[in-house]
Amino acid sequence: MPREALSLGSILADARVWKLSLSSRDASAGHSPSRPVWSTGRSALDARLPGGGWPTASLIEVLLDAPGLGEVQLFLPALAQSQKVLGETSWLVWIAPPHEPFAPALAQHGIDLDRLLVVRPISATEALWAAEQALASGVCAAVLLWLKGTDDRWLRRLKLAAQAGGALGVLFRPERHRFESSPAALRLLLTRGDDSPRLDILKVQGGRPGPVELDCSAPVALSANFELT
Amino acid sequence: MRSRVTARADLFAAAEAAEARRPVPAPSAAVSPPPPPQQQAARSRPRQLWYAVVFPALGGAQSNDVSLERLCLHAQRFTPWVSIEPPDALLLEIRGSIKLFGSLAALHADIDAAWNGLKLRAQSSTAPSTLAALWLARAGQKALIDDAGLLAGQLAKLPVACTSWDVSRLSTLRTMGVSRIGELMRLPRAGIARRFGRAAVLDLDIALARQPSARRAFAAREQFRERCDFETEVEALAYLQKALEPIIQRCAQFLRERQAGVQALEIKLKHRTRPVTRIRLGLASVTGDPGRLADVSMQKLSRLELAAPILSLELRSGRLQPLSADSLDVFACLGGAGGRDTAPQLVERLRARLGEEAVYGICPVPEHRPEAAWQRVHALQTGGVPHAVRRIHRRADDASDMPRPIWLLKEPARLAAADIVELHRSRSMLEEGPERIESGWWDGKDVARDYYIVRHAGGARLWIFQERRSKCWYVHGVFA
Repeated sequence: MPREALSLGSILADARVWKLSLSSRDASAGHSPSRPVWSTGRSALDARLPGGGWPTASLIEVLLDAPGLGEVQLFLPALAQSQKVLGETSWLVWIAPPHEPFAPALAQHGIDLDRLLVVRPISATEALWAAEQALASGVCAAVLLWLKGTDDRWLRRLKLAAQAGGALGVLFRPERHRFESSPAALRLLLTRGDDSPRLDILKVQGGRPGPVELDCSAPVALSANFELT
Repeated sequence: MRSRVTARADLFAAAEAAEARRPVPAPSAAVSPPPPPQQQAARSRPRQLWYAVVFPALGGAQSNDVSLERLCLHAQRFTPWVSIEPPDALLLEIRGSIKLFGSLAALHADIDAAWNGLKLRAQSSTAPSTLAALWLARAGQKALIDDAGLLAGQLAKLPVACTSWDVSRLSTLRTMGVSRIGELMRLPRAGIARRFGRAAVLDLDIALARQPSARRAFAAREQFRERCDFETEVEALAYLQKALEPIIQRCAQFLRERQAGVQALEIKLKHRTRPVTRIRLGLASVTGDPGRLADVSMQKLSRLELAAPILSLELRSGRLQPLSADSLDVFACLGGAGGRDTAPQLVERLRARLGEEAVYGICPVPEHRPEAAWQRVHALQTGGVPHAVRRIHRRADDASDMPRPIWLLKEPARLAAADIVELHRSRSMLEEGPERIESGWWDGKDVARDYYIVRHAGGARLWIFQERRSKCWYVHGVFA
């Protein structure tokens, strides 16, 4: 870090300096101003999270029943918003995604692809290492990590890295890890529902766990042109 | 007295050009009459003043270019114009530095002290012409001549051998009974030219400051290279890293002096029998920062599997590139609490450990076929300016009304008839479609598909299509 930035940091640390922080621009009260919060884009979910959005500088764990339940789309509005606000230090790092992220789709959601990095490590350890580096680097707005399994020790390291770097850390894991303890500040469970996926908050620091009603668009029933051949 | 490397050569060239403006004898003339003494020489102060130093110890050594280069670097403390006179001498143009060092005597003494400090035996001399200074130094005379008019008298006493002309010419001179330069100067010019070639006459004219002489200014090497030989063969990586650390520091210093950076480094590890191990380090952006260089090389070394013990280690820099000044974001520290890295640093650290191919960006391509509508980007734009072309592409994509899936399968997965029955039975919903994509007839990979978005039972949304010719169904994407 350049010396100028350090001295600025020390000025900002002074209690007499009154500063307008990023999070106070969100006009949502009730959370620490040093940690900005990104809105989830869904009012029902925002209302259930302390601060009214995804907490940054912490680890969020999403447990999945099956892929394709809209787990990435949960975070896309927040990712797009954070990229707009943070500017230069808003890289998105996607580590070990299960398939190729489709660039046109991400562009449709307003993601700035110039600052998106896809990382394909060969092993889980490498993936965790990459996630730790990215989280702690301070240039990432969010780090998304897909894992089949890992141990508690690594999760703690990721959490510390996220706290150091101030990024939004999201870990996607299979649902079978549901009953393991986790240092994540927020744990979500996404399962198949009757018509639409069901989202449960398993653990939330400073909030109340329980199911969340996700508003979903009304789909039409399969029409005649979907035929057996 | 340090100036930029590039400026050094320019200054020298300018001086030569100024010299060249003076009339130079036409080469076609058999022997030119002696040129009139220069205007400058007529006055007491010639324009250039040359300090020559001869290191007798270097004369016999096999490869002393390297050590002369090193001595050049020392000499550049005193003047930016230093040239190497093989095999054992340096020439320094010191007219411009006299004022800075007080007086000519003080400057001369200072430069001599530099060689003493290096425990080198040196013979030095200062004269208004290059060859006069060199000859005086070779003869071991410590002369400080600042007046071209005195040159002839000083040179006359020198033995002919100090010209370091070739042996046959010197032996001819000896048989002629010429042992001093003064005796040579008294001979008729045409005669000297006939016997020894015009070069000999020219040398005399140069020595007497009647002719300019071109010298190539020494420019420091444009590549960093340093080797570290181990006393015993090394097997431990930790030891290797320890040895590399100071070399990287010196490399960074080397880059700092030149206001340059590198984008590639190479580490060569020499083994006793096996071929040399080369480790190439790539950096995401041009840098001269020791922290970043060390970071990448340590990362790469720590992943190394040594095939054999190592005899020596060599670090080479890639091509030097000028460092462009980046503007520092005053509020960058507000973005992240840690903020200890920059984006290029992160990218190169990931690449150093995971491999170049494992870290990439993606961008959309204006193309209707989904599999061709994106591509990987390996040259990452770590700067602030977004790619204008990509912006245009994005706008084109916004126009397409049907949403695209987040995941695109590498190959469309064919749905068996049973799967389709299952889709029907399990109350799958058709959300959108059909969107017909028919394209690519020109490159042989043409597609004709009807795309649908289907909500699978329980909520998973899929992007499926029906091939129009075969009527088969495929899954092509997942709305994750």
